[in-house]
Amino acid sequence: MKKTLAVATLFAILTAAAFGQTIKIGGTWPLADVTGEQGSKAAQLAVEEINKAGGINGRQLQLFIMDDELKADKGVAAIEKLVTVDKVDFLMGGMGSGVALAQVPTMKKYQKIVMSTGAASNLVEKALGADATWYFHLHPWDYTQGASYLEGWTAIAKKYPAMKIGKMFLAYEEGAFGKSSYDASKTMFAGNFKFDGASFKSAAMGGGDYTAVLEAAKEFRPDIFLWAGYDADALPILEQAKAMKYAPPLFVGAPPGWPKDFGKSPLANNVTLYGMWAASINDINPVSAKFYDAFIAKYKAEPATYFAPLSYSAVYVLADGIKRAGKDAFNKDGSVNNEAVIKALEETKYLSALGETITFTPSQVIKHQGIRNQKILQWQNGRQEVIWPFEVQTKAPVYPFAWK
Amino acid sequence: MRLNRKVIPWIVIGVAAAAAIAAWKPTALIYGVQRAGLYAAIAIPMALVLGIVHIVNLSHGETLMVAAYATYTIAQALGLDPWLALVPVMAVMAILGYLIFQLTIKHTLKAPELNQLILTFGIAITLTQLVTLLYTTQTRKMHLSYVSASLSIGETSFGVYDFVFVAMAIAMAVALNVFLTKTRFGKAAVAVGQNPRGAAIVGIDVQKVYVVIFTLSVILTGIMGSLFMTRQSIFPSVGGPYTMKCFSLVAMAGIGNISGILYGSLVLGLAEAVINGIKGMSGWSNIVFFLLIIGVIGVRAFKERKI
Repeated sequence: MKKTLAVATLFAILTAAAFGQTIKIGGTWPLADVTGEQGSKAAQLAVEEINKAGGINGRQLQLFIMDDELKADKGVAAIEKLVTVDKVDFLMGGMGSGVALAQVPTMKKYQKIVMSTGAASNLVEKALGADATWYFHLHPWDYTQGASYLEGWTAIAKKYPAMKIGKMFLAYEEGAFGKSSYDASKTMFAGNFKFDGASFKSAAMGGGDYTAVLEAAKEFRPDIFLWAGYDADALPILEQAKAMKYAPPLFVGAPPGWPKDFGKSPLANNVTLYGMWAASINDINPVSAKFYDAFIAKYKAEPATYFAPLSYSAVYVLADGIKRAGKDAFNKDGSVNNEAVIKALEETKYLSALGETITFTPSQVIKHQGIRNQKILQWQNGRQEVIWPFEVQTKAPVYPFAWK
Repeated sequence: MRLNRKVIPWIVIGVAAAAAIAAWKPTALIYGVQRAGLYAAIAIPMALVLGIVHIVNLSHGETLMVAAYATYTIAQALGLDPWLALVPVMAVMAILGYLIFQLTIKHTLKAPELNQLILTFGIAITLTQLVTLLYTTQTRKMHLSYVSASLSIGETSFGVYDFVFVAMAIAMAVALNVFLTKTRFGKAAVAVGQNPRGAAIVGIDVQKVYVVIFTLSVILTGIMGSLFMTRQSIFPSVGGPYTMKCFSLVAMAGIGNISGILYGSLVLGLAEAVINGIKGMSGWSNIVFFLLIIGVIGVRAFKERKI
């Protein structure tokens, strides 16, 4: 009896060693920022859902979360720690381009498969180079985003002839983000639209006076008034525009996130915006609805930015790839078989919570680019509605913008 | 009231400059004055502390931020307008000011200035991190319809709400002037500011003056924090840039010169509005701001050397 028990115990230990090891995923996000805070929470949610459903090929997932604090040095240290101390099998996450750019050399050193959720700057893909086949980039690059806006506005003008879209004014914050947005937009739109712009000091940088740019725009009389700044600028720019009695036909905002309860302000109504996800997608996409309900049930808060569904999707895409790679996903020594998993990930066709099916195709430099387009959304009665792409449209655009 | 002859040329130059700005772009004059009011109202409490307690408070902007969050929290929880929430916020800020002084500032009053700077810098970071932990970095802004109040003159429409900052700056300057020159405690505070050892010899309780003036400064900053959040979005690092601007303004006006802050902020506010009014030049506004400050301090140093 004792002998049988000893054999059974030994068998159990060996089985656990062979099959019961967890698959370790290391993620870096800026945890003090709502994008990173919710992105990491959404990734954890996906991990728990997958584990509850039996894991991947009989193995449970384990997520290691590190705070990159939106600082390059912290981002690099986080990758080092995840790979050398936590011994993760895969890497994921990210938000800021600056952090991602700094992480590239470390990622190249370890060549772990990365499922990146951030970094819009094309400098990151230039740093990665064409041979970084282990890098899977879900977030659109800046130039694919720009192209999608042009495509979107052109399509909207065609479908809704009453909407006049020929003149654009870009008010941009004077930092790197705003300036690069201005340069990219000028290149993209100047050939198709009459284009002008002026800079302002963002409230996020100690500014917050938009009167000069609003006056310049008022003089230019654009069809689209677009501002590229931060969430801190969102309501004050509307308040000041209203005080100046300036109501452009389309009031478009392009901040990376929106302030808490922005939609509750009556000034927000019919403000147009760019983004990748809105809760209204729940009406037409069951994956989005499932994610949304689960997120609220677990964290008692609404997903405030698209980084939450994006990170959630990233875990599922990665898990799906590992699953399809099957027993070839790991070598006999327990290390990841990059070749097999990359091959499986290349065949990804995943209907995501963001509303689109994620596949990987080459971008200008890297081989594995996921999502290419941003969506054009509009605040309508406190909710962000998708107005383009039309295949995921949840409401027709309200035009023209006017003060209540 | 006799007008100082030396001031007359400056008044003439000021009026001529204002007339030129009004002729070029009337709104630049309006927004410049409004901006000046905001800077002055935030800087005056800092000048008070610097002039009497002789502490460069690098956590000034963060105190403003804490008051803004306190106002936001109270206004949201009780459904109050921030102007009403301002009353309990003053009490909160009084306690905060008292505690900061008793627990930290008091112990470094005789320490080298560098230690005081490091201490207040540490307080600034602590306040920022505490607010980040409690509220995250997500931006908050209450919608208040009255901040979009506007006035139209002919074709030109402009916001008028920001004149509250101008009114607040003038009210603070007048009230502090009365307090410091007409009340017994105020006179004692001025004496402490000029010569703390001499003030102690004649029987003034210097420590009491310090704690009251520091707490009063935090309360005044708190009032401005409440008004600030009606206009601007708030986030944990929102106060930082104002510390630097206010300190520069105080240095430009001369240590403890409260009325000088009104004039200085007017010059800086108008200069910023003019620069912003020229398309493509907004990036220069900070450079002009600090160049003006360097210029004024330089001229004053040169004059003092001549004397």
